[in-house]
Amino acid sequence: MIWLIIKEAWLSLSSHKLRTFLTTLGIIIGVSAVVMMVAAGQTVSLVINNSFASMGGNLLMIHPSFVFTSGIKSGQRPTITAADVEATKTLKGVDAAAPIVRATAQGVYGANNWTVSIRGTTPDLITVNKWEIERGEPFTEKDVKSASPYILIGATTANELFGFADPVGETIRIKNVPFKVVGLLASKGQDLMGNDQDDVILMPYTTVRQRIQGSRIPDRVNFGYIKVSDDEDLETASNRVKMLLRSRHNIKEGHDDDFEVMNMTAMVNTIKTVGLVLSILLAAIASISLIVGSIGIMNMMLVSVTERTREIGIRKALGAENRWIMLQFLTESIMISFLGSLLGLFIGITTSQIIGYIMEYEVPISVWPIILSFSVAVLVGVLSGIIPAYKAMKLDPIEALRYQ
Amino acid sequence: MDSVIEISGLYKNYIMDGGLEQKVLKDINFIVKKGEFVAIMGPSGSGKSTLMNILGCLDRPTKGSYVLDGREVSGLTDNQLAEVRNSKIGFVFQNFNLLMRRSISDNVSLPLIYAGKNDIYRRERALIYIRKMKLSGYEDRMPNQLSGGMQQRVAIARALVNEPQIIFADEPTGNLDSKTSDEIMNLFTELNKDGKTIVLVTHEPDVAMYAQRLIRISDGQKEYDGSVRAYMEKST
Repeated sequence: MIWLIIKEAWLSLSSHKLRTFLTTLGIIIGVSAVVMMVAAGQTVSLVINNSFASMGGNLLMIHPSFVFTSGIKSGQRPTITAADVEATKTLKGVDAAAPIVRATAQGVYGANNWTVSIRGTTPDLITVNKWEIERGEPFTEKDVKSASPYILIGATTANELFGFADPVGETIRIKNVPFKVVGLLASKGQDLMGNDQDDVILMPYTTVRQRIQGSRIPDRVNFGYIKVSDDEDLETASNRVKMLLRSRHNIKEGHDDDFEVMNMTAMVNTIKTVGLVLSILLAAIASISLIVGSIGIMNMMLVSVTERTREIGIRKALGAENRWIMLQFLTESIMISFLGSLLGLFIGITTSQIIGYIMEYEVPISVWPIILSFSVAVLVGVLSGIIPAYKAMKLDPIEALRYQ
Repeated sequence: MDSVIEISGLYKNYIMDGGLEQKVLKDINFIVKKGEFVAIMGPSGSGKSTLMNILGCLDRPTKGSYVLDGREVSGLTDNQLAEVRNSKIGFVFQNFNLLMRRSISDNVSLPLIYAGKNDIYRRERALIYIRKMKLSGYEDRMPNQLSGGMQQRVAIARALVNEPQIIFADEPTGNLDSKTSDEIMNLFTELNKDGKTIVLVTHEPDVAMYAQRLIRISDGQKEYDGSVRAYMEKST
């Protein structure tokens, strides 16, 4: 009997092709919009996750606190030293720590010029920021002690200075000082803010302070990264770092810190939450079109019942029981929403993959949003079919046969 | 001979909008035997349409008994009545009442859907009655490609396809010209000769003449019940 009803419903729908198509279009647009918006939201989350992973997880960042002059943030006092950063490694739950000295200078190789962004650090940074060395070797602790002119070069910088040639073993000049490239870093792509992480040169912080900045206090650094072990609570670790730095800086009870400890993971989680809220918002807006589509079905089915009053009368006179009439109309609306959902899923997934391909983003296809939007659409078909189907069922056969 | 229809003490009242009760049928009694060809006549408003609806199990009497083919049907539910219409009754209407967007074969086999028959069986049965109505070759056409007389033959084929006990024809020639009317009425005569019980509602004496027996309804009551010929001779 179910098969017979499906066949009858199909014949009725296919005898009004344009109308059926237009009604189905409402659902197609609704479902594909939801699928595309969910895909967009998920892509954003994925991008955030990937850049977070490329930065290295479970990180604390220490930097000097800001100085306020008459209530205006006027700069930072250089209070953090490489020794401070090094000392945190003795704390429980700290795996590694690396100081960072930032500098920007002109790099020259042969006829090529490039403004290089320099990070002076220790070999620990490789672990802390999850760098990988594609070719060559990292500089060593010994190089740090002796302020050796050895550098690791990022993929973008290498490309700008050396083109396609192998940079390892070559020498570049920064501020007329020769530096030997000992290793090429594997590409990491963009960070959370959209900056190119590969446009970088890493070298011992002592080298930066002495050979590039020419500073008399080689131990001052801009900030430090502290990598906390995975099973350690970041807040607890953060408090231990604070205690240590306060005692190292001789800060007395009741006085403010002259540094700040930032929890990078908490920051990223905030960004992730924003991403999630964005996805939900997009899906909610898209589902409005699904609601409009379902109203379209109900509208069409109501018109159809009125228009086919005579047909209903004939079917009833020839022996159709009430449930038959009800099921036929219900099946028609379910069929529209079912076909519309299938096509909508197909179009939504295809379009988001094509857009992802063009924009060079990996767009995930996840099963749950698909199952959810599909079942919602079918449910919508049932709900918008119920009233018209009930109306059809309640028709009096005598009245219906007389209807012109 | 067995009786197909037994009506006794049948009343039908309608409650009007104002709450007034209108008595449409008053104490109708008659029996139709198997193989009879009965015409029901009466002026408009006499209650003959209401009687036809009750006989066709599309409506229920307010009071009284209606036994169709040995089964009391006056107290059945909507769904039970639908089942009775499907298995025991064939309908022929004035305006044919075909599904305009479906093929002749689909139209003829429609009652068999509700009897739960499969596609192959339905098509097979439909073709038998399409041939019987001399419409072979038209089975995959649409009703609007056929003339009025042919459409009514499709409707008769549809009325026969479930092999009913009785055929109810409500003004079957009302939308046809006189030549086609004769053709359709001859078809009914032939079906009657093959043993089908036929009840026909008409207001045209010419059409009623094809039947053997006449029941005349006037003002909700049975006014005449007897030979058609005798009534026609008396009234002229």
